[in-house]
Amino acid sequence: MSLKSYSRARAVHVMLVYTGGCNGCDIEIVNCVLSPRYDIEQYKIFLTWNPREADVLVVTGPVTRHNKEPLKAIYEAIPEPKAVIAAGACALMGGVYKNIHGDIPSEEICGPVDEVIPVDAKVPGCAVRPEDVLAGAVAALPLLLDAE
Amino acid sequence: MTVVDSLIALIAVIGTLIVAFVVSVWLPGIERKFVQARIQQRIGPPISSPGLMAPIKFFFKQIINPNSPMPGLYNSLPIIGIIISILLLIIVMPQLYFLVAFASVVALVGLLKVEEILYMFMGSLSKSVLSIRMPFPDLVKGAKHRDVPRSFVEELSSMRAFRLIAFGSFPIYIAIFVPVAMAGSIFLNDIVAYQQLHGPVLFTLGGILGAIVFFVGFMILLNEYPFAILKTKADVIEGPLLEYASKYRAYVYISRGLLIFVLSSIFATLFLGLPPTILSWTILINIVVTLAFTIIMAIVSAFSPIFTYKQFYPVVAGVSILGVLAIIASFL
Amino acid sequence: MDEDNKMTDETPKKQVIETEVPLGPVHSAAIEPYRVRLFVEDEIVKDAEITIGVNHRGIERIMEGLPVEKANSLTEKICGICSNIHIWNSVLVAEKALEIDVPERAQYIRIIMAELERLHSHLLYLAHGNEVLGHETFSMRLFYIRETVMELLRMVGGNRVQYGVPVIGGIRPRAELDQMKIQKIEDGINFLEEKLSNFAERFISDPMIMSRITGVGVIKKEDALRLAVSGPTLRATGVAVDLRRDMKEYDPFDFDVITQDDGDIKSNLLMRVLENFESIKIIRQAINHLPEGSITNRSWEMQDTPITKNYVEAPRGKLYHSYALNDGRVRHCIIRTPSITNIGAMEYACIGCHITDAQLAVVQCDPCFTCTDRAIQIIQL
Repeated sequence: MSLKSYSRARAVHVMLVYTGGCNGCDIEIVNCVLSPRYDIEQYKIFLTWNPREADVLVVTGPVTRHNKEPLKAIYEAIPEPKAVIAAGACALMGGVYKNIHGDIPSEEICGPVDEVIPVDAKVPGCAVRPEDVLAGAVAALPLLLDAE
Repeated sequence: MTVVDSLIALIAVIGTLIVAFVVSVWLPGIERKFVQARIQQRIGPPISSPGLMAPIKFFFKQIINPNSPMPGLYNSLPIIGIIISILLLIIVMPQLYFLVAFASVVALVGLLKVEEILYMFMGSLSKSVLSIRMPFPDLVKGAKHRDVPRSFVEELSSMRAFRLIAFGSFPIYIAIFVPVAMAGSIFLNDIVAYQQLHGPVLFTLGGILGAIVFFVGFMILLNEYPFAILKTKADVIEGPLLEYASKYRAYVYISRGLLIFVLSSIFATLFLGLPPTILSWTILINIVVTLAFTIIMAIVSAFSPIFTYKQFYPVVAGVSILGVLAIIASFL
Repeated sequence: MDEDNKMTDETPKKQVIETEVPLGPVHSAAIEPYRVRLFVEDEIVKDAEITIGVNHRGIERIMEGLPVEKANSLTEKICGICSNIHIWNSVLVAEKALEIDVPERAQYIRIIMAELERLHSHLLYLAHGNEVLGHETFSMRLFYIRETVMELLRMVGGNRVQYGVPVIGGIRPRAELDQMKIQKIEDGINFLEEKLSNFAERFISDPMIMSRITGVGVIKKEDALRLAVSGPTLRATGVAVDLRRDMKEYDPFDFDVITQDDGDIKSNLLMRVLENFESIKIIRQAINHLPEGSITNRSWEMQDTPITKNYVEAPRGKLYHSYALNDGRVRHCIIRTPSITNIGAMEYACIGCHITDAQLAVVQCDPCFTCTDRAIQIIQL
């Protein structure tokens, strides 16, 4: 393993952007990062709130109309190489909010996330479990390691 | 001074700098893993991750243009910070005491001042996406005060840096003058020589008080947690450092660890009479002092919330008075 | 009242405001997306405005015309923090309209869930408050304590966040409590009580934290009443209003309504710490006197009803749900959540704070903008 890949694997900075779900995934992710029980730092993953520092962007929630532009702006602020994890049912397919009454799409939701920014890993669940978020972050790692 | 002497001096300087780098990259990890994670009852990151692997990782990231009116100047500021740290370290090394005027506490104070001013420049040059530039429709019909000038959060921290220059750095400067008062000289070789004769300054009443004051000043200079108003997460997120990406962020990471080592070495020189040099076994004591400072700092910051000015002013005022008492005690 | 409003509208205009600092919608102190525009003069906040609408998903519109059982489970998706209270209130509306009697055992289990949820919500509030305060250790500690509650919720409801325990006429069979589960709940709350009282002692005796939060972000009693504040935020200003006193489900239980006097951040934080002990008290009574019997009443028939409304005490305050039933489907659905009335208090509490305290002053009112933003207002009924 080259020094580049090794260093990338040993320090991953994660940024969380929350785009208007029900808060459930959001708490679980913050919980998994902050609580001593799951303690994401032992897997060399650090939480940051600054897109310039981040490697991995975790997005939760269906992207609401007002959140589309901020999400794009933050995605563009992250320097390459970067990976995006969509966490939770809403981020994957719009959840209960996207398809109202059969196939009528809701005009409030611009999501799911992969219609706004490219997504590399998907974590299902309503709400996602902290263990799954850890697994998702690990699944996105090879992308980072092999990138130029 | 012969050629051999200057060669030895050169080797000593370079060797000490290498030791400083090697020690300083482990300090953030020690702080995070052995102190804070232990207090918070979790496992914590491996000790190489925060200080060593993170900067290396940032060196391999894409270099982007920061959002700043003067990107070149903004990006060069952390490098200037590292250069100043190196200069500070060189000044306190005994090999360079022949530069008499330069190897004095006046030079120390001046360079520390530049270190503080850097934050002010950083704050006013950074224009991050996280405040005004966030595309969000908030200036809409019916919004309050629509014609007020808007400011970036970094401008806030720039103002705070300005205030910190005014009052926040009192403790460290007063503490630096405690050994000066004892030795009766502002030159570092006199201070070191005085301590070799009379024993370390630390083991006198004035010295103990001075050490406490120095420690508080050290934390303020490093913007560590109770004194982190410059870059608190509660409003300015990371403040002046917001726009640094890729290798420039790596320099920010390195400069912090280096500054811890340098300030601890200044402490060891002024209060213990042991300047850092690779040619003497006393460099081990320098490293021990660095570790002790890091660990005590981590413990204090793990148990304290952020201070706003309401708590900051009394703490600085009280500590400064303690420093003045220390100077008086050292005259007695 | 009109004159009062004019006064409040005009007073800010007289001030000369230096600059505006907008924070959000992505910000380290506010995990939820909202924009706070702080108008500052020399780092002191002179005026504040909270812009919401980021979370607007239109749940009430999605609920419109759904079968009532589906609509009930959808109300749970309004909020991930207080999901149980939403579904409970929605079920209560249907039960009130259709005049369904709920078995007593089901009532007790619903209350156990509601109080466990209040515990987790308050602990989350305290943890987040400490994080914004900058005290990472206490924040971690509280997240660690909170994990016990999450485990209990997962054990009873089957999921860590959205449990879906109440259904019309009772509770889901999954949530039936056997002796082993009761024992686990008892152990859990004993552990919680011990850890929480340790935390409370350390929190109150910490001089640095106390100096940060005492007398900051004050909401006076009169202003709280004028701004229609509800829930624990109102109780922290000294008004003893708790909707649980008026709910017939809570009649068998003995608990105190906690109040604090000052209305500052300290009162708000202590308020939640002390309320946790009351919740533990209620859960202990419920598991000790859990009645025997069935957990669901299935002998009810769907019929058309006019608009029925119901209020309950959510962890954040007064929660209102109302809808009519037509052909087994939900019509004219309106939901009003506690945070919408507390927004006024959040803006008010910021005024006069240092800018570092401003986010804390917002957080002290326990904002849940995901609850607040969900609705489309249907004016024509």
